[in-house]
Amino acid sequence: MAADDTFERRSFLKAAGGAAATVALAGCAGGGGQNTETTTEGTSGDEATTEASGDAEETTEESDESGASDSVLTYARGSSSGTLDFQATTSGEVAKVTNQIYDGLVRFEPGTTSIVAGLATEYEVDGDTVTMTLREGVQFHNGEEFTADDFVATYRRFLDSEYEHYPGDDYVSIYGSYSLGVVDEVVKNGDYELELQLASPYAPIIPNLAMFAMRVHSEAAIEEYGSDLNENPVGTGPFQFENWDQGNQRVRLSANDDYWGETPNVDEVVFTVVGENTSRAQTLLSGGADVIDGLGAQSSQLVENSDSAELVSMPGINVGYMAFNMARFEPFREKAVRQAVNYAIDTEAIVDSIFQGIASQASQPIPEGVMGYNDSLDPYPHDPEQAQSLLEEAGYGDGFEFELATFQNPRTYNPSPVQAAQTVKSNLNEVGITVTINQQTFDPFLEYTNTYKHDACFLGWMTDNADPDNFYYALLHPQVENPPEDQDWINPDDHDNPNTSNASAWANSEFMQLVEEAQTTYEESERAPNYEQAAEIFHEEVPWVTMDHAMELRGVASHVEGFEIAPIAGPFLNLVELQN
Amino acid sequence: MISKRFLLKRLLLLVPVLFGVATFVFAILHLSPGDPARVIAGQRASEEFVQQIRTELGLNDPIWVQYGRFLVEAVQLDFGQSYQIQQGQPVTEVLRFKLPVTLEMAIYGQFFGILLGIPAGLLGAIKQDALSDHLTRIGALTGISVPIYWSGPLVILLFAQVLGWFPASGRIGSEFSIQPITGVITFDTLIQGNFAAFQSAAMHLLLPSLVIGIYSMALISRMMRSSMLEVIRQDYMRTARAKGQGSKITVLKHGFRNALIPVITVIGIQFGTLLGGAVLTETVFGIPGIGSMLVDAIQVGDYPIVQGTVLTFAFLFTLVNLVVDVTYSYLDPRIEQ
Repeated sequence: MAADDTFERRSFLKAAGGAAATVALAGCAGGGGQNTETTTEGTSGDEATTEASGDAEETTEESDESGASDSVLTYARGSSSGTLDFQATTSGEVAKVTNQIYDGLVRFEPGTTSIVAGLATEYEVDGDTVTMTLREGVQFHNGEEFTADDFVATYRRFLDSEYEHYPGDDYVSIYGSYSLGVVDEVVKNGDYELELQLASPYAPIIPNLAMFAMRVHSEAAIEEYGSDLNENPVGTGPFQFENWDQGNQRVRLSANDDYWGETPNVDEVVFTVVGENTSRAQTLLSGGADVIDGLGAQSSQLVENSDSAELVSMPGINVGYMAFNMARFEPFREKAVRQAVNYAIDTEAIVDSIFQGIASQASQPIPEGVMGYNDSLDPYPHDPEQAQSLLEEAGYGDGFEFELATFQNPRTYNPSPVQAAQTVKSNLNEVGITVTINQQTFDPFLEYTNTYKHDACFLGWMTDNADPDNFYYALLHPQVENPPEDQDWINPDDHDNPNTSNASAWANSEFMQLVEEAQTTYEESERAPNYEQAAEIFHEEVPWVTMDHAMELRGVASHVEGFEIAPIAGPFLNLVELQN
Repeated sequence: MISKRFLLKRLLLLVPVLFGVATFVFAILHLSPGDPARVIAGQRASEEFVQQIRTELGLNDPIWVQYGRFLVEAVQLDFGQSYQIQQGQPVTEVLRFKLPVTLEMAIYGQFFGILLGIPAGLLGAIKQDALSDHLTRIGALTGISVPIYWSGPLVILLFAQVLGWFPASGRIGSEFSIQPITGVITFDTLIQGNFAAFQSAAMHLLLPSLVIGIYSMALISRMMRSSMLEVIRQDYMRTARAKGQGSKITVLKHGFRNALIPVITVIGIQFGTLLGGAVLTETVFGIPGIGSMLVDAIQVGDYPIVQGTVLTFAFLFTLVNLVVDVTYSYLDPRIEQ
């Protein structure tokens, strides 16, 4: 199965760089895995896979013999799923469950950001056309066979309000238009080939198709359940839906032994909710859960100090930052002022003492491990003197006064926003800048920053698809027609639908050009240098004070084996095994 | 006996109370900053997309139109559909799953409170200033003073993590899949004859019930003690004793019933507080009742859930008060007038 099961995006992209205009990719990974570190692991992962499925059969036999307790994996998290339909939400909590039930056309390799085959065994990208060859012989949990019709129905249910089973504008999430908006048309050629017509060449289309929100529904289930699909999920994934016990906030899934990929090693998975972090850690330590997530500083310490469980962590693909609003606050239009503020703020102290080590200091928007990471850049050091002299140089030696808007409640990329804001305030006070803190709850706060009412604001981002475009274009590109040429910021009021996630209103033409270019070429070796260069411009121009990348933290009981922490698309519970 | 007129009068009083609560919760929600449409749409959504959702949810209508719609529907016990907590599900349906969870815990908690509180109070009163009296008073004082968010984690640390006697959170072990019938899990497991599951549920409920029970016990025993002390000194008690009634019988038969009236009040009020205290207990012990749901719903701006839950709380609270009043009139028929 190894041959056509995995292919590497990078190797594909290398091939794409050749003279051929059309690039075909068919299971080229197999043995040729010199590409990235992750690939090497991925190759050995194939062996592990074969072993794992062998074990699965054994475990099943054993439990059949004893006729008693099935192996149940309990995964405890901080809040519940409001739906079981990936098309109806932007919530990562929902994704944890639906990722077990559903497959996408392509998927992220467990523990990495590389893309491998999913329900499509091969794909071909040619300019504005994506052609996908679909896997044959895959069955949905309702017994229906997976064909191109299922993807077409899934796509239409998400984006086509004319479709008779379209569940309504207030039902579908923004991800339909946000991530597939570039797709003009989906055409099926027979049962096992799909063609996606794009409005223009768009490199992130493949990572977008690997997102949790782009999995595939069964057409029969769409027709049968309509919007009740949110309580009756039917997918092709390694686990199938058993029940949703609302009185206990539990979702119970059972192993799909006919899964086309690595079949699960446990009989059942139960997702439970324990809202309080410490209680959740204690639940793990007292044996009430096998894996937990959503840990804070205190609760991760609890897990770390225990004998019965292990703390597993890796840097997450997210970023927490403070954006300077150049559209509103004049002094921030000066590069020297922005640099001065960067020197004045002790981000190291914020990350170490306030975020208490559950985040790492950031030097650029994307963390290490994402394509285009520039390892020659360092975070701005804490240097008030340098800050002072830059301010004097810019004519603001006597300082100035501005308002820092922040959300109140912890978010992954900023676990203590108010305390962090206070540190910023006292740091800047040292160089003569007076900061007023304006704290709000998150949704009015977003309204506030989306309408550019802030002078500066805290914000952050969790990746959708692990692609650098999802940071550089999504957060730092104004996305307007004809941005002004003589300045490196826009006035949002002068444009239709500016990108409100660009909280700095930054519009640096050199940066924009690099990012746009990287968006339209599929070749990774061509894209990466663009992003590295963009990072340099970003680092020099500093439209943000880049603060941190939050860690992904999981508590895993000692009897759990094979749990691989994933920066995206996890958890991969079909790989997990329970030891007695 | 309780007259129908008394009951009817009290029931009618429910109407203005609930109307007031409904208006209050509606006003608070709609006047406070926050935009449920933005929460639903998420950070990535454009203003246009958010606007679309606002229109679909009727949030763009004038506030009095929304208020009128809310009242008219609420009278028909329709609180709308949840935005986020249980997307698209009618609030009444959500409450049907969640309410028994909270009630079950509160009832067990109150059971422990009464079971421990009344004897402790009686003991204190009968042997005033004895060692046992001092001990129960210290116990009661501690019980009142220690907040649940502190005692809860401590109890979990000791009994679940260190000793491993009880599970740390939840309502039942995840190996059990119980078909909800009433939603009261200890009852559902019993009628389905699944004793292993019943045992698991009972073990899970014991710690949280005890934690809220101890809090409740504290007040009940304090009230029982002082009320009993007062009654013991009444003339009719002295007369009974003078007439040769054994002191134990006097206390229990004549004194207890009269001393119970203020205790019933406390139990009634406590029950209301227990429902409120359930917010904390449910959060600490990971019990998915309406208390923890209310907190979540407020955070994500799920207006229908918040409105439905608060009204349910108000209804329960007034209902308990009604039951307390009815019990009074049973204990002391003069009160009905």
